[in-house]
Amino acid sequence: MKNVLGREIPERLGERKLRLFGGAFATTPSGRKASRPQKVVKLGENKVLSSIEQAIEKTGLSDGMTVSFHHSFRQGDHLVNQVIDTCARMGIKDLRIFPTALFPVHEPLIGHIENGVITRIEGSMNGPVGAFVSQGGKLKAPAVLRSHGGRWRSVEAGDVKIDVAFIGAPQADPYGNANGIYGKTPCGPISFSAVDAMYAERTVVVTNDLAPYPVYPFEIQQGWTDYVVVVDEIGDPDSIASGTLKITRSPTRLRIARLAADAVVASGYLKDGFNFQGGAGGISLAATKFVGEEMAKGDVVGGFAMGGGTKLIVDMLHQGTIRTILDGQAFDLAAVASLREDANHVLMDPGHYANYDSRGCSTYMLDAAFLGATEVDLDFNVNVNTHSDGLLLHGIGGHQDVASGSKMTVITIPTLRGRLPVIVDRVTTVTTPGEVVDVIVTERGIAVNPTREDLVERFRGAGLPVRALEEIKQEADAFTQPPRKPIFGDEVIALIEWRDGTIIDTVRRVAGWE
Amino acid sequence: MSEAQLVGSDAKRDCQVVVTPAPSLEIEIKASNQRLLEPGIRAVVEKTASALGVSKAKIAIADRGALDYVISGRVEAALRLTFPELTSAIPRSIPRQASKRNRIRRSRLYAPGNNPRLLIGLELHGADCVLVDLEDSVPLSEKQVTRVLVKHLLAAVEFPEVWVRINPLDTYGRDDLAEILRGRPHGICLPKAESSADITSLSEEINKLETSYGIANGATYIMPIIETAKGVLHAEEICAADERVVVVSFGAEDFTRDVGAKRTVESLLFARSMIVAAAKTAGIQASDTVYSNLDDEKGLIAETKQARNLGFDGKGVINPRQIEPIHTVFSPTEQEIKEARQIVAAAEEAEKHGLGAIAIEGKMIDKPVLARARQTLELAALVNKGGS
Repeated sequence: MKNVLGREIPERLGERKLRLFGGAFATTPSGRKASRPQKVVKLGENKVLSSIEQAIEKTGLSDGMTVSFHHSFRQGDHLVNQVIDTCARMGIKDLRIFPTALFPVHEPLIGHIENGVITRIEGSMNGPVGAFVSQGGKLKAPAVLRSHGGRWRSVEAGDVKIDVAFIGAPQADPYGNANGIYGKTPCGPISFSAVDAMYAERTVVVTNDLAPYPVYPFEIQQGWTDYVVVVDEIGDPDSIASGTLKITRSPTRLRIARLAADAVVASGYLKDGFNFQGGAGGISLAATKFVGEEMAKGDVVGGFAMGGGTKLIVDMLHQGTIRTILDGQAFDLAAVASLREDANHVLMDPGHYANYDSRGCSTYMLDAAFLGATEVDLDFNVNVNTHSDGLLLHGIGGHQDVASGSKMTVITIPTLRGRLPVIVDRVTTVTTPGEVVDVIVTERGIAVNPTREDLVERFRGAGLPVRALEEIKQEADAFTQPPRKPIFGDEVIALIEWRDGTIIDTVRRVAGWE
Repeated sequence: MSEAQLVGSDAKRDCQVVVTPAPSLEIEIKASNQRLLEPGIRAVVEKTASALGVSKAKIAIADRGALDYVISGRVEAALRLTFPELTSAIPRSIPRQASKRNRIRRSRLYAPGNNPRLLIGLELHGADCVLVDLEDSVPLSEKQVTRVLVKHLLAAVEFPEVWVRINPLDTYGRDDLAEILRGRPHGICLPKAESSADITSLSEEINKLETSYGIANGATYIMPIIETAKGVLHAEEICAADERVVVVSFGAEDFTRDVGAKRTVESLLFARSMIVAAAKTAGIQASDTVYSNLDDEKGLIAETKQARNLGFDGKGVINPRQIEPIHTVFSPTEQEIKEARQIVAAAEEAEKHGLGAIAIEGKMIDKPVLARARQTLELAALVNKGGS
């Protein structure tokens, strides 16, 4: 079956009948949300356990079940490997894991895929696990990738039933209240797991800092938590900055950031109450910094910023350039400290942030957002999941959610990465459809989606270099011989879900080369 | 045949090439993303070897994301090191847009010719002119390889105006010229210019090469850099030495070293004033020295204002982020634009009525004032276009 973008989608994934992507806002959900079993913890009962092994026994975790995790420790996470190693030791196999995201630190999972402990993955894979799965034949079923909002929706909708949620918590009390901003190793918000905690058959909070009742703010609540496990280590907060957090010094990338900021200034959206998403890539950070400087210069006070807490937007909050930060994940420790200290730096879960099947999400309040891409094509479709070699190497993050919601979505890309063109005729994988992408900014000029004539006029009026995307592509292509292209086989490695649960594209195994 | 030498580096956006004699053409390629990139790299290597007429060599290349012109530049240099009898391969030449003698030159952006990563995108930062260096920033051991790379850069990229700073003629300057003129730069920048003879010998050399490469005689401009005491004292003859000279620039670092001065406003004042006076006498532009403290934007703006007040038309730039502040200083203010408009309007009015003299409110307007007013409006138009 082909979806509205002409991408071939299988009819079923196991028992699940797949729905085809039909447009960014085409789906109207019906029915009722999922639920979890009734359970009462009676007066005086103890929830505290002394080991992960004990938690596995108590929850009845066994072959074929689904376990979930958050990625708030990012590259510093220790919990996922600990839990899966323990499962392996206890002889449990055929697990489906449902992490919000995996990082290079989770490379040891490859061994557990090979020995059958893990047979299915639904979640973002950044790096080695993704590259391994891309080889094909590794999992019993295709992986499923979802956006932050899409993952939340899938649990609420009952698309994914979690058997046991393991939630790493830098601080928790014995009754199961927990958060990520206090404790010995604070990592920032952990409420990616809130939906897991609410809907899983059993919810286990794992902490290295058990504090007296009550621990607050309660990102994870006592009423959701079955057990609390105390361990030595859950993660290393110094590694939450996964290397993307330096403002770029490359003149080319700074030029892109400058043009992106100039585009925001020229767009007409930059006025009091301006809400924006920054992001964490080198170009996005620089663009955010430039926009902040323009706001300060023009005496504009922004409404809220989001997109991951960074020192940069914390500084903007402190300087009074913005009123509020809505924070779903911390990208550095300055953001974590500010979450403790600043009343206007607010914790936010992904349901609030980005859930399609809801009565409202914060991304719809955005005026402008800076997002990245591994590839874009002439229809303004964006790929953030695969590289031109067909390997699955990145998650979706909030890309789809933010692009859909923001009044002006700005993709910032260099036209070439090394010898590889970033603007292509047809993206290897569609993560985000061109219909929700307004502007693509490159070092060779700014391309505006033909649906946004209004922006073209404003940009031209401000003297910005507006050009056809095709023209920019041709100019860049002249610098390198075209790369060879992979030929994809039939085997589906992964499904790319749109945020409403429909399938926007698949990732297929590379079968050969042109 | 000389021994195989490694050309290039393992830095990002560069490649390393080693050539050894072999019975036939053998190409060995290593690249990240090997399967994607191998055929494209091979095509560039083959094309370069064939342009040089080489069919008996083993060419081993390790790529770190080099663009085609970098690969062809590196391969040509490596082949010529191994087979010194080879003569230059003329790369595909893009049509070079001609420049103008008196075009606006508020900024001249320097880039070392031997670092591919810093050459990428040089044309995109809005500098009025780009200056690729073969002299001070290039170590002796890399002179030969660098001039080949720069030639390929020039052949692949269109610039509003591109200059190459060669080495002095009595060291490597003649070899530099023979190579890079094939890439048709708009101009040649001569360091340590000290006399009119320096300029005329350069001009004669360029003339010969223009003839032999089929470039219109006189098309290549000259920018002397005055950066010694002797040069300062001979500024007048240097500026007036040749029609090709359209702009003269000042090098403060070498100058202060030469005279044993500390770099202060006062110690540079004589040299800067001499150079401006000499340039204006010859009817050419003067461009000030670079400001090397990248992180001090206030200092940059202050020094640029001094230069503008002294009569300079532009300034050297060592990083793209210095361009915008410099352009702002060298751009006319609202008041200046208003006055210039009045002058030009009065001149047009006078011409319409066949009057020789131009007057505004009874005040006579001299020709240079009119010319300056026109230049101000030209500058203003460029700035409005988003020229920075």
